[in-house]
Amino acid sequence: MLIDSTKIDYFKLKRVGIVGVPPRSIINDLQRHQVRIYDLDEPLTPVSLETVGLLPQVYCAILRTVVVNALHLDLDAIFIDIGPGKCDNAHYTARILSHRLPIPVIICHNLDAVKMGNPICRSSLPLLEKFRRITASVIKPDPAPDPPIACPPKAGFWGVPPRDFKLLEFFPDRTHVYGWTRCMENKTPADHVLESYCNSTIPTVFFAQSFCPKTALARFLATCHPQALYLDVDSHCSGSAQAKIQAFLELSGVQT
Amino acid sequence: MMSTKMLLGDFGTSYSKILDLNESDSSSRITATRKLAPDFRVDLATGHNARRFARHQVNELTALARGGEALIGEEDFLLLDCGSRDLKFVRYYRGKLADMGWNAECGASMGFTIELLERYYQLDGQQMAVPEQGFSVTCGVLGLSDIFDAVVSGVPEAEAVARLIRGIARNAYNFVGKPDKLYLSGGLCENPVFVGSFPCQVISLGRFVLLAGLQRQARITQIAGIGTKPPKK
Repeated sequence: MLIDSTKIDYFKLKRVGIVGVPPRSIINDLQRHQVRIYDLDEPLTPVSLETVGLLPQVYCAILRTVVVNALHLDLDAIFIDIGPGKCDNAHYTARILSHRLPIPVIICHNLDAVKMGNPICRSSLPLLEKFRRITASVIKPDPAPDPPIACPPKAGFWGVPPRDFKLLEFFPDRTHVYGWTRCMENKTPADHVLESYCNSTIPTVFFAQSFCPKTALARFLATCHPQALYLDVDSHCSGSAQAKIQAFLELSGVQT
Repeated sequence: MMSTKMLLGDFGTSYSKILDLNESDSSSRITATRKLAPDFRVDLATGHNARRFARHQVNELTALARGGEALIGEEDFLLLDCGSRDLKFVRYYRGKLADMGWNAECGASMGFTIELLERYYQLDGQQMAVPEQGFSVTCGVLGLSDIFDAVVSGVPEAEAVARLIRGIARNAYNFVGKPDKLYLSGGLCENPVFVGSFPCQVISLGRFVLLAGLQRQARITQIAGIGTKPPKK
């Protein structure tokens, strides 16, 4: 059943899944009631995406991952952000899951506007570690203490957390993060101004998941940027995607 | 560090191009990749099969870009490589890389499909005319259906294949952003229907652009004292 986030009884919940970035108030309530939270956007089960027939095969790999997780994890409820910080595809996925699953599927619209900052995005941490920390923070209402120190950027990565984190291994440590991932760390997923921001002085890869509406924004921003590579990748980082990143960074004079 | 005397190889899906810098004439040669001895090795390689034959590898897009830098001598250019398996391009603006692309999955196997069709229908690609119309194709495999449908409806086989080739050229033209002028490299440079189907100025650089890129890359890495990619285990 598809229900509104105001009608949920938190005392009945032990294990829930989240999709996208639900509002901080919801995360706060879940944490306060000691509910275990699973980020369904990430691969959590070894089940192949191809085995799920609920969504078309040619569809956003993140949402196909959501469906696989939702069907194979024993959950009490699922919270899905379908507001301006997510996408129409999530809205349809929520409806489909609500028909298929016996648990409540709770839709929410995250309009949080309090900026929590993005020290991780601007740090010298390896890009993979940046994304691990940012995606892990989605189940916490507040930023982690002791933020990393900022550094000058060497390259840029604009976009959402990729379904396959292998993609992130080819970038140098001082790669700064932009796009929706920066909004994630900032806890303002619907901040479209922040999402569209990039640094035109550094070579930047504009990434989106294949079949995601954000491909349009990624491609557009790449055409406006003087040193850009537009890249879309489906479920796995292919050899040609890897080669494109490596050649782009090398030919742009970025030492990895 | 690499010696300037070395054996270079561009190991494509169907054909391999070899350049021996140790020989006095240093001319490049082409051979079918499947005919190479399994233990054949070169010093520096690029291409889809590079890993099988090389101690050191250079990314295909890097080799293409370096080849363009070495051969074109312009600050602004677009270089498109059309091989058996994929399409690749680099675009330079004011002497710097501005854009690049590699179409290896959707839109792939076009060159290989053309070669298969010419053999199957026993056609001489050099004698075929550029057709007035083409198929709307996104990849070699999907284009096959159009060929078969056209032949069944009475279109001559050579005309049907030429329409596919024209469609592939137009697809490549769209892929690189519809430029006014492009430099072309790869096996399809030698196909007159393909070259003649682009609605823009086309300058064919031949099949050895990636080898020229390897030479340039070897010099750059030697100057910078950095290594090329070692073979994966």
